[in-house]
Amino acid sequence: MKKKIILLALIGLLSAAGSLAAAPSATTRKSRTTETSELPVETRLLLKNGHIIPIAGENFDGDILIVGTKIARLGKNLSVEAGTEVIDLKGQWVMPGIIDSHSHIAIEGDVNEMGNLLTPEVDIRDVINPEDINIFYALTGGVTSIHTMHGSANPIGGRGIVLKLRWGADADGLIFEGAPRTVKWALGENPKQSNMGSAGKQRYPKTRMGVEESIRAEFEQAKDYMKSWDVYDRKVREAKTGKGSVPPLPPRKDYRLEVVANILRGKYWVRCHAYQAEEMASIMRLCKEYGVKLAAFEHGLEGYRITNELVDNKVAVSTFADFWAYKWEAYNTMPQSAALMVKRGVLVALNSDDAERMRRLNLDAAKTIRFGGLTELEALKTITINPAIILGVDKFTGTLEAGKDADIAVFNHHPLDPYTVCQMTLVDGKVYFDRAKYLDDRRKAEEAKAAEAAKPKEKKD
Amino acid sequence: MKKTVLPALIVVALTALSFAGRAGDSDARVILIKNATIIPVVGDKIESGQLLIRDGKIAGLGQSLTAPADALIIDAAGQFVYPGFIDAYSHFGLSEISAIGSTSDVREMGKENPELRAAWAINPASVHFGTSRINGTTVALVAPSGGTFPGQSALVRMDGWTVAEMSVKDPATSLINFPMTPRPAGGEGGGARQESKVDVTSKLVDKIKEYLKEARRYLDLKKAAATDSKLKAPAINPKYEALAPVLDGSLPVIISVEKEKDIELAIKFVKDEKLKAIFRGCAQGFKVAQKIKDSGIPVILDSLYVGPTDPEDGYDAPFRNAAELVKAGVMICFSSGDDSTFGKDLPYHAARAVAYGLDHEEAVKALTINPARIFGVEARMGSLEAGKEADLFITTGDPLDARSEVKHLFIGGRHIDMKNYWDNLYEKYKDRPIK
Repeated sequence: MKKKIILLALIGLLSAAGSLAAAPSATTRKSRTTETSELPVETRLLLKNGHIIPIAGENFDGDILIVGTKIARLGKNLSVEAGTEVIDLKGQWVMPGIIDSHSHIAIEGDVNEMGNLLTPEVDIRDVINPEDINIFYALTGGVTSIHTMHGSANPIGGRGIVLKLRWGADADGLIFEGAPRTVKWALGENPKQSNMGSAGKQRYPKTRMGVEESIRAEFEQAKDYMKSWDVYDRKVREAKTGKGSVPPLPPRKDYRLEVVANILRGKYWVRCHAYQAEEMASIMRLCKEYGVKLAAFEHGLEGYRITNELVDNKVAVSTFADFWAYKWEAYNTMPQSAALMVKRGVLVALNSDDAERMRRLNLDAAKTIRFGGLTELEALKTITINPAIILGVDKFTGTLEAGKDADIAVFNHHPLDPYTVCQMTLVDGKVYFDRAKYLDDRRKAEEAKAAEAAKPKEKKD
Repeated sequence: MKKTVLPALIVVALTALSFAGRAGDSDARVILIKNATIIPVVGDKIESGQLLIRDGKIAGLGQSLTAPADALIIDAAGQFVYPGFIDAYSHFGLSEISAIGSTSDVREMGKENPELRAAWAINPASVHFGTSRINGTTVALVAPSGGTFPGQSALVRMDGWTVAEMSVKDPATSLINFPMTPRPAGGEGGGARQESKVDVTSKLVDKIKEYLKEARRYLDLKKAAATDSKLKAPAINPKYEALAPVLDGSLPVIISVEKEKDIELAIKFVKDEKLKAIFRGCAQGFKVAQKIKDSGIPVILDSLYVGPTDPEDGYDAPFRNAAELVKAGVMICFSSGDDSTFGKDLPYHAARAVAYGLDHEEAVKALTINPARIFGVEARMGSLEAGKEADLFITTGDPLDARSEVKHLFIGGRHIDMKNYWDNLYEKYKDRPIK
């Protein structure tokens, strides 16, 4: 197993190096159509008699018809052709599969490349661990898609990837085709190594000033780098037309600056870990200055202080319902923060950042009703369509609508009810978690174990 | 236009009145809550009932109480009255911001510190008391952690000017961390830890037994020297002194233990040492529920924000654990656990246990009368009964539901201002002009 992983990681590193020049959307190595064709197109599944929360549109009691991997139709008393598999939900609650826009599961080994200050050359795609049990645990909480990321040790960290939780598939089979690629940045105490005690290196940066400056300096280097390649490429082109000669050597290839150049070209969606309002405001100014696509702040616990600026810059916040006070920069916040940002027009997702919290994002969403007064719909949006928009996958998932992927979570009570238990989770129309079956399997296993224990012991040779 | 002015004025006047009322509430000695659904926990539910508070105590409750002339009246129509929740294990006031050492007094150096007392280090002004009581918690056990003998916990009210004023029982318990592989973590890879093949646990248990033996020898020698002038009394050892009430069974000891095998060893240890024990954690308690029941040892459940100890236990092991223990007859109670910043979530842990099979009524008991009994303060609190301290709250709905809101909280009959650190931030920033 370990050997396989190491090999995979090596191959990953090599392929990362090889693919750097290509556009980041190279993850779509399998097109969505070829992927979906792996399932027989004629697979038809009817989920009937559910309380359906489509997120897009009014709640209704009715059915969902899934054809292949997609939602084909929603409505009351849908008629189906022969051969359609039918699951009677008996009045259970149905919502779009939950999307966790900030996670670190399904990663082999550490999530932080600590060796350097700036490490966009490393890529989570190369170290996806499809065997992480937390993928299954996430499914038991109704989660169908996650964004799994590099850690927050570096001002510019590694690249992240959006996964669909097709438990049992290999690393490639987990990748959410068509999702934009992301890169993790981090501001504040983690890149400053403020809370590492004696383990923290005496390195630059040690201040918020230094953190921002290290990003700016890298941008300037990348601009020089891009220019030197532009000049070289122009000279090569011109030489072909007989004008001048090909330079003796191309500029030195720098895999880190290649990625930074692509960040500047807007090819990566930046996900910036930050807590304090003013450092978020200043990084928004920096991104504007360089034309960088800043998709969202991660955590953003003081985001409620700069909602005007977040709205102006169209920057979302992927945050916690109420996780706080674990360090100084996480102290100046409140559980009303997410709701206040929503009410003031910010696009907000509630995320887990944790394999355990991931299993109860619906219960975290319920807290935004009590703290800050969101409606049920607004609360549910923070774990469905909002993270889908933040991840750039809203045309595929995040609501229950005809034509979207059949990513669905079924609960025995309303998903915001404190006593609700996820009963079934479907990804691309396939059931990946079925609590009834799970309990049945467990009971059988226990019975078999008991029977085995009751048997008189046979002698083994 | 004129028509609308008058009602507006009335509203302003009423608001002013009610604020004046609020300000004086904490001084009111007599308070009548009326029109409420009262859940006394001990005794039957009372619909449209009244509850009278006088001089910090519950003076009475029922359906035919009339308001004394001097009573402040709270109309709780459509609302519910519950006894205050008791958080059975926390670090409130010992840890403000976990990453900042200067704000943390949770863990002392060394392994054997039975003489340390949480009460010496609790900060009554910690914001976590204010934010953790908003869902109805009125009393909490505050404990130090780390090492084999972390020290002694204190049972404190969630309000007070000084620790002495907050104190319900100090010391409330001693503490032992039973030897084991590391506690299951909630984070990545949580629960996937490998168990050691070698039985190191038994050897470590022997070390604890040896330590207790030394303490007993010291106490015996001291006792003997007190009556026999020929014997030399041993030099005072505060650590052994602190274990005296543990060894004679007068002070309960919380034993933190999680795994099936460790729980079995701990039951034997308690029996051998004749301790008055309370287990804490018991993540795999459901596997040995009958044995725990037979031992008579109650269990403080930890935060349910954890993954399974062992993937083999099933993804829902932490949630069904409570129901399984109660089914076997074990007395359980809930706690918010090691994270002092998550006190408000105490009832949410109970809700999760209910979702996975625990009876709702049992869950409420496990937040009220059970911890009161476990800590030996059931004569004073844990239910709504005449003569008990007026620790209670009025809520808009099911107190286990994150969508319910506690409207009034009383601790020792004092009407507690629910405004807290979070509300102050909210009030300020919700009013920033939107461009």
